[in-house]
Amino acid sequence: MIVVATNLTYFLAWGFLDPRNNYVGRRPPLSEDQVVQLLQPRNLSDTVSLLERWWNWFSGVIFRWDWGVSPVGQSVNDQVAYRMWVSAELVLGATILATVLGIALGVYTASRQYKIADRIGQATSIITMNINIVVAALGIVLLAIGFNNMVGTTVFFVTGSASPDVTGFFPIIIDALQHLILPTVALVIIGYAGTHFLQRSLLLDNINADYVRTARAKGLTKGQAIRKHALRTSLIPVATQVAFTIPTVFMGAILTESIFGWNGMGRYFLETIAKNDIHGTVAIAAFGAVLTAIGALLADIAVVVLDPRVRVS
Amino acid sequence: MTNPLLSVRDLKVSFPSETGTVDAVRGISFDLKAGRTLGIVGESGSGKSVTSLAIMGLLDENVRISGSITFDGQELLGKSDKQLSAIRGNGLAMIFQDPLSSLTPVFSIGDQLIEALTVHRKLSKRAAWARAVELLETVGLPNPERRMKSFPHEFSGGMRQRVVIAIAMANKPKLIIADEPTTALDVTIQAQILDLIAKAQSETGAAVIMITHDMGVVAKTADDVLVMYAGRPVEKAPVHELFHRTRMPYSIGLLGAIPRVDKAEKQPLVPVKGNPPLLINLPDACPFASRCPIAIDACHTREPDLVDVGNEKMGEHHAACIRSHEITDGGLIDGRRVFPLPDVSERALAGVPREDRPVTLEVRNMTKTFPLMKGAFLKRKLGEVHAIRGISFDIREGETMAIVGESGCGKTTTLLQIMDLVEQVDGDILIGGTSVADVRGGHAERTLRRDIQIVFQDPMGALDPRMTVADIIAEPLRAIGTKKAESETRVDELMDLVGLDPSHSNRFPSAFSGGQRQRIGIARALATNPKVVVLDEPVSALDVSIQAGVINLLDELKAKLGLSYLFVAHDLSVVRHIADRVAVMYLGAFVEQGSVNEIFEDPQHPYTQALLSAIPIPDPDIERTRERIVLTGDLASATDQSGGCSFASRCQLFKVLPPEDQARCLGEVPPLTGPENHRNACHFR
Repeated sequence: MIVVATNLTYFLAWGFLDPRNNYVGRRPPLSEDQVVQLLQPRNLSDTVSLLERWWNWFSGVIFRWDWGVSPVGQSVNDQVAYRMWVSAELVLGATILATVLGIALGVYTASRQYKIADRIGQATSIITMNINIVVAALGIVLLAIGFNNMVGTTVFFVTGSASPDVTGFFPIIIDALQHLILPTVALVIIGYAGTHFLQRSLLLDNINADYVRTARAKGLTKGQAIRKHALRTSLIPVATQVAFTIPTVFMGAILTESIFGWNGMGRYFLETIAKNDIHGTVAIAAFGAVLTAIGALLADIAVVVLDPRVRVS
Repeated sequence: MTNPLLSVRDLKVSFPSETGTVDAVRGISFDLKAGRTLGIVGESGSGKSVTSLAIMGLLDENVRISGSITFDGQELLGKSDKQLSAIRGNGLAMIFQDPLSSLTPVFSIGDQLIEALTVHRKLSKRAAWARAVELLETVGLPNPERRMKSFPHEFSGGMRQRVVIAIAMANKPKLIIADEPTTALDVTIQAQILDLIAKAQSETGAAVIMITHDMGVVAKTADDVLVMYAGRPVEKAPVHELFHRTRMPYSIGLLGAIPRVDKAEKQPLVPVKGNPPLLINLPDACPFASRCPIAIDACHTREPDLVDVGNEKMGEHHAACIRSHEITDGGLIDGRRVFPLPDVSERALAGVPREDRPVTLEVRNMTKTFPLMKGAFLKRKLGEVHAIRGISFDIREGETMAIVGESGCGKTTTLLQIMDLVEQVDGDILIGGTSVADVRGGHAERTLRRDIQIVFQDPMGALDPRMTVADIIAEPLRAIGTKKAESETRVDELMDLVGLDPSHSNRFPSAFSGGQRQRIGIARALATNPKVVVLDEPVSALDVSIQAGVINLLDELKAKLGLSYLFVAHDLSVVRHIADRVAVMYLGAFVEQGSVNEIFEDPQHPYTQALLSAIPIPDPDIERTRERIVLTGDLASATDQSGGCSFASRCQLFKVLPPEDQARCLGEVPPLTGPENHRNACHFR
């Protein structure tokens, strides 16, 4: 499936993007020969037949794991390899935090349905869910700058993913955390509410189940019975949903990356399209396909872990 | 005089609802001593389950409880959830109604059992495991070691209820509350479970509260009985006293409404008219007065208290009825019955002998097999499930044929085969003389369907909630192309026939009670003037007092319209009351077939004998003295293709046979043999 999707994207990309456009309007204008000379070695010239271009690209991927170069000659492999980790650093932490927070809040509010804690929790989540990421991020940046000024030193960095001149193991980690905290907070704030609502409603379906009553009749307190017996069954759909959102959050954090100045996959995606970088676009599509496959696999693993009945049959 | 183990004083429970505060329990008091069994009887909504949950402290937090519950010297009301959880499952255990949903599906049986043990005491893993295995053995699960790792979905209902009982027994409780523990189970399994609860009681010396709607179960198990109505106890007495010297009209009605499996005479059942009141803003009057045939004006002015009506000889007996002193034994008042017997409509066909009546439905050698598949992508056929293995019967005009058997025996599949007009490979289904094999095309099929209609088990689920009653009843008429004006008059006619007010025809099903909905279902089935009505457990979802009314209606309609019924039920008392002929089904085949009196008076096949002996009879004297045959194990798998008698693995007769006869049971399928009105499929009967 991944191979088919990637190849399809290759042809679609050629249908929409034309690297030649990058040289239109240059001063002084480049001649036709010059443009072809620039593009041909990069396998991007439309003077060669599409089938031949495709084969050059595809054989490169298969035999040398070479995903081609951009119109200016940067290696797509290098770009993806670097940006992938930047994105992972940003997105994985935020996803895990948002999921844990969402589930915890879901359990907490579901056990107190229609009480004051539930109402406050719900109201807060409705608000945060509707905050635009730009607003959230800028608000956090302002707060952080205010805090930095107050203590008189830079505790939070508001741009970039790392400082260039830090060495040593611990200094690098601390520096990374200083950069990471703000965008992570921004992503968690807008991301947790979905999980919260899903977990709350699923748990409420199970909370009055007979087996939860049996568990309480055994001598478990209400809280224990909910956490042990009701949560396990209601976690299954939540886990599936979270696993399938992984590709979306990886590629979708474009605004966050732009605001905080991180060079992640989301920004790369925009740049490749803007610069008619066909090889980059295709590589990103392939990356997305792989992530989807990983998400599906994780979802299956989660279901098997949570529901032993699947293991049995 | 020892102190009671549990003492409930003036317990009141109310909870908010959309229409107002529901007073679910309105003042109940009782004492229970160790080792005794208290039966709480009542219909749905009478507050019996709410009482038990209040004692367990398992009610929602928005519920208001007042009064006092003292258990083992401690006051339970007002304790926090944490304090209560130390008592629950330890001194106080509960068995729930539905074993299918009362175990967590994602944890193994062993884990759930061990949890019940370790939550109250520190136990090493090994000790907890050993004790859990021991418990499973006590409740009679085969291979307990292996079963520990099984999950609930691998178990049958009866086995799951055994696990629930094992969990309840885990910490040797002083009080076991059983909330309708056998309602969801087959009679043979019910007998096993009741015996098991009795065993658990004798082993732990616990007191038991047995909550049920089944008077037979009460007669079998209880020492004292509390009858509840509209959230209040209306009669409280020792079990013999209650059954033989009933003083409250509601209890009399409840006892009179039950069909008896041990009585042949066909007098109509005595239904209690009307429905229980809604428990919102009840006026200060006897809540039963509107349904009571002997109500006088004084009944409507004040709610009667529960007063002692017993005498020195017979001990305590409390009843809440101002006329209870006028009522004498046997449910009589001034020498007449409290509940007058309804009129019996004379059967039009009563004089015509069976042979002379036309056959309305005939089934010849019906079989049905389901393939057993395995594999996710490439399905391989592993074998076949023989759901029905060659059954034959016929029903004549004005006759009721009943098929009885445990769940999974193939009753419902038989009905579906008939209703789907499935062409048989090596047999035939004839409806009014027309073979389903000859039915070609939609028109012929529709014509044939006019003659056969079905009434379903669940009156709530079988009616479309978004159609008015008139639409529901008229739908079959429209399907066969009746004109609108014609169908409207027919709807009114039908509603009148089943005892509903025709002016209510523009209401939606949700406005009707369960019994009324079942009447709507019957009216719909009768719309096309069918010859045969198929009834799939038509009364099993209804309360006893309502059930009697629907059974009487069915009897009356049969007499008036000369209908034939094919009746499927697991409740043999109902079958005995309504049926003329009966077939006992086991694993897809009839093991005994004949006229109803022959089979109930003189059961031949060991399975029929066991089935009949498993039904509790609502009379403590008979119930506690008769011998019973308790079957071991569950229904065997229908995939077995071994050539012998399918019942041999559970048969009580098989066990006492000499080896050469046993070999015959295992090697040769017994055919149905005997005279027309009583045939059985056993080699040795």
